[in-house]
Amino acid sequence: MMRAEWYPVFLREMLMFRRKLMKLGYLFSAMVVPIIYLVTFGLGLGRNVPIQGGDYLNYLIPGLVAMSSMNNSYTWVASALNLNRLYFKTFQVFVQSPIRSSSIMIGEVLAGMVKGLFASGLIVIVGFVMSRDLSITPLFVVTLLLNCFLFACLGVIVGMITKSHEDTSTYNNFFILPMAFFSGTFFPVDRMPDLLKWFVYIFPLTHTNIVIRKPALDGEGVASIVILAIYAALFFIAGSRLIKNYSE
Amino acid sequence: MIRIENLSKNYGAIQAVNNLTLSIGAGEVFGLLGPNGAGKTTTIKMLTLLTCPTSGSARINGLSTATDQQAIKRCISVVPQENNLDRELTAYENLRIYSMLHGIADSSRRIQECLELVDLWDRRDGLINRFSGGMQRRLLIARALLSEPTVLFLDEPSIGLDPQIRRQMWDVIRKTRIDGRTVVLTTHYIEEAEALCDRVGILAKGELIALDKPVSLLAMVGEYVVEYVNGEGKLIQRICRTRDEAHLAAQGRECCVTIRRSNLEDVFILLTGDRIE
Repeated sequence: MMRAEWYPVFLREMLMFRRKLMKLGYLFSAMVVPIIYLVTFGLGLGRNVPIQGGDYLNYLIPGLVAMSSMNNSYTWVASALNLNRLYFKTFQVFVQSPIRSSSIMIGEVLAGMVKGLFASGLIVIVGFVMSRDLSITPLFVVTLLLNCFLFACLGVIVGMITKSHEDTSTYNNFFILPMAFFSGTFFPVDRMPDLLKWFVYIFPLTHTNIVIRKPALDGEGVASIVILAIYAALFFIAGSRLIKNYSE
Repeated sequence: MIRIENLSKNYGAIQAVNNLTLSIGAGEVFGLLGPNGAGKTTTIKMLTLLTCPTSGSARINGLSTATDQQAIKRCISVVPQENNLDRELTAYENLRIYSMLHGIADSSRRIQECLELVDLWDRRDGLINRFSGGMQRRLLIARALLSEPTVLFLDEPSIGLDPQIRRQMWDVIRKTRIDGRTVVLTTHYIEEAEALCDRVGILAKGELIALDKPVSLLAMVGEYVVEYVNGEGKLIQRICRTRDEAHLAAQGRECCVTIRRSNLEDVFILLTGDRIE
């Protein structure tokens, strides 16, 4: 039976991910950070704060899902690729096999998406326990998938260009961390100063947060989806090219 | 089978390989011998498409490393110097992933054959991070043989192994010579090159300084070496053509004198003035 070229790349990551999931410590650690955010901002600070005409917890949960999917899709791919390339040298096995660079890219990105979806799925479960008004629409799912794809692609780019494992934290501090806090995860972007607001609209996570909270697609949502799709395409092409031009 | 012409690689100001030109015939076991930093691994990396050369060209089975990369990847395999097995996967899973990457038909049978060849079939479900260094090296060879490559590259295949395990490794490498397979190996172990290679190229500072059969290279220096420590505590080596000449050279020395057969390191010392370390 013919298999897709990307499948072994994806399978490798999934076999290792399955082993990690069997460790209780991993599952626990994956849930700790979002639960801390939920408890601190949702139940603590935000209990009596109405936002966009509703309960703050209902506002916060989709934002945390988006943030967590970004963090996990990006970090897992960037960190694993960096380690596999520079320390474990396992990336050589892919580069020296007769598969296309785009297949390596697809396998890595799909694996990153699974990890991002797993982490955000945990938050959705906790969200259902804490809030009765949380609803998962098809638009929510599509946006989540696009967000995971986009940030897994960005993870490949960072994983391929960093010169050491420590470098990945630099990208985290400059791009991922500001995005997590300023892109509408914890409070609406329109409450920000005008100058900063324009800057924040460059971030892809801002557009994920816009669409993921919409019950149905409208003009603003379409614009944000298009922007996310453009980011995804650009990141995918850039990541594939970096893999194609790989040289030690 | 392999044709290298004026191949060079620079890393900034450092010239790792300088104008390397050589041919390796089909079915030959060819050794690249030299000290650390001589350019052996860089040469292997250029031939196995991990590193782009700065200049020059190479052809494997008539295919250009510059333009026919996918076709070359289908006919070569590599045992790298650094273990690049997935440590969190089992031996079988590592080989399964590799066989899928290379589109190997009937992979279950091939995996069993290759694991049996290196005596690891019974350990197929063991995690790599629980394998000894010798077992990991053997598994790397098994993995490289899965795709039945016509050219096999082994970069320092027995580095870090104790002498007994190293000899077991040599037996495994000898088994890989079947079906007219070309084997290119790099080593800085003299005895490994002598034991395994049909021809040896000696590299020093990125340049090929000698290229011949081990026997012919040894004939350059003479059959025996007399070694003794002089009054200043310095090791002196004298190369002698015959046993009688060696005994004559050893006579009258007050300190401990050793007479031994010459080896490829003596060739290297003769050519460069340095030891292989």
